[in-house]
Amino acid sequence: MATATAQFSRSRSTYAALRLSVLQFLADPQWLVPSMIAPVIFALVSFELFRGAGPYFLTYAILGAGMMSMWGQTLYGSGWATGQDREFGTLEPTIQSPTPYLYVVLGRVLWNVISGLIGGLIVYVVIVAVAGGPPAVPDPLAFALLFVFVMVTLASVGVVFAAFYVYTRYAGFIQNIGEFAFYIGTGCMFPVVLLPFYTNPISLVFPPTWGLDALRYLSIPGYHGFGWGFWGDLLGAIATTLAYLGLAGAVFHRVELHVLEEGNLSEY
Amino acid sequence: MSLPSVSASRYHPSFWRTLWTNAVMAPRTSLGFMRVDFVVGTMFVIPLTQMVFFAFVVQLGGGGATEIAYTAVGNAVATVTYSSVFSVCQTTDSEKQQGTMELLLVSPANRLALYFGRGIIPILISLATVAVGLTYAALLFGVTIPTSTIPALAVSVTLTAFAMVGFGLLLGGVALYLRTSIILGNIFLFVGLLLSGVNFPLSSLPVPLQWAGDALPLTWGIEAIRGVLAGDSLSSLAVLWGAVALAAAVSFGVAIGLWKYFERRALSTGSIARF
Repeated sequence: MATATAQFSRSRSTYAALRLSVLQFLADPQWLVPSMIAPVIFALVSFELFRGAGPYFLTYAILGAGMMSMWGQTLYGSGWATGQDREFGTLEPTIQSPTPYLYVVLGRVLWNVISGLIGGLIVYVVIVAVAGGPPAVPDPLAFALLFVFVMVTLASVGVVFAAFYVYTRYAGFIQNIGEFAFYIGTGCMFPVVLLPFYTNPISLVFPPTWGLDALRYLSIPGYHGFGWGFWGDLLGAIATTLAYLGLAGAVFHRVELHVLEEGNLSEY
Repeated sequence: MSLPSVSASRYHPSFWRTLWTNAVMAPRTSLGFMRVDFVVGTMFVIPLTQMVFFAFVVQLGGGGATEIAYTAVGNAVATVTYSSVFSVCQTTDSEKQQGTMELLLVSPANRLALYFGRGIIPILISLATVAVGLTYAALLFGVTIPTSTIPALAVSVTLTAFAMVGFGLLLGGVALYLRTSIILGNIFLFVGLLLSGVNFPLSSLPVPLQWAGDALPLTWGIEAIRGVLAGDSLSSLAVLWGAVALAAAVSFGVAIGLWKYFERRALSTGSIARF
């Protein structure tokens, strides 16, 4: 009976966090910018810069701006939610509640993914309208499935960020200075192999780097990404995503212990 | 025991005191943009990452050294938006959230000193940001900056910083009436990348978008800085400087007008700071 109550409480907490995120999004239009307006602008700028560079550069522009939409939402959304909890004084009560904090964060991350996806869809519609037609994708079904998986890789990063943001007062700083750095590091708009070789290990720490490279292998004929190819990318994406989820679980466990010991997360 | 009374109607802080308080104290307290993380990030990190990002996009699109240099200069100047437009515009939100907006609106402080004072630190940060961005452009992206152009470059950069901060104050004035100013700041943070000739010439956009771009001070600022680097004559630079100065004057003027209008509205309804 107790187990059933706990399970119900967890799913309800995730649903409540998701619902609250949706309501906050609708009430506060600032989130339109990182998830929808900025990516459309980046897509239009890159479309103009790629103009005349070949048929598959449309795919680069759409894929890149779509990923930036989800990155923006992950990076800003995770930090903002924790910051708001801290400002409202709801961080400690939320973490002290019987439901593990991970399930609350999961609801928020789910919304980040959904709104990022909507942003990606808007980017697609705008670029297709400007270009006068959709990009050629050899295998649309596989592309869609892989795209969903790449969203999962981003969600795993969002969960780790959310955990990390509990311990830092510099979440805003990381978001602001990290925006373009993450876009570069994970190769949102261009292949990571264009970057100096010594930076590649840093890029490979992030699951979306692998996922995006795999997506490009799938959608752009003749694409030159990492030497290990599509299957290597896919394997790497799965492995790093699992590692992130494991890390997130461990960090959240530590956070919960911390708050129970100290009864306070304001002193950090 | 009675305290000496000071008639509120007779107490007027001096122009310079208001200017000093808003220039030096407010950024460190209520406005919140004199933090080390903000200054370091805005001046050193954001220009570099933004320039690198667009340089690689240009490279992938088949652009050569000339196109990369063009993009580097544009983004070096465009990063001024973070310190001038975004942070200045956001001050309205900060005042509202901290509950100091009502006190500010009923204070007898000279408004010109108040608004201009708030712009001084952002102007200085903006100047430093563009200087750092242009240094990156010269050191990392092959942009040639002849030493003979530095005085004209300094004039262009200074005028651009003034115009952009004025534009930030203007948006902050509009934001007085909105629930939040952050969306305005965010939109104008990015819209310049498309409409101001940052990454490609404005002429490649449809005409209505070119008109929209012409309405932004950033467009004229970038044009003036590109003109200096291209070795344009002083007479043609003077026209561009005039355009940037006009944009600055209009921005500051409209900003003060908006603040006065919404201030009167606030005093009559007592509700403007509620959001």
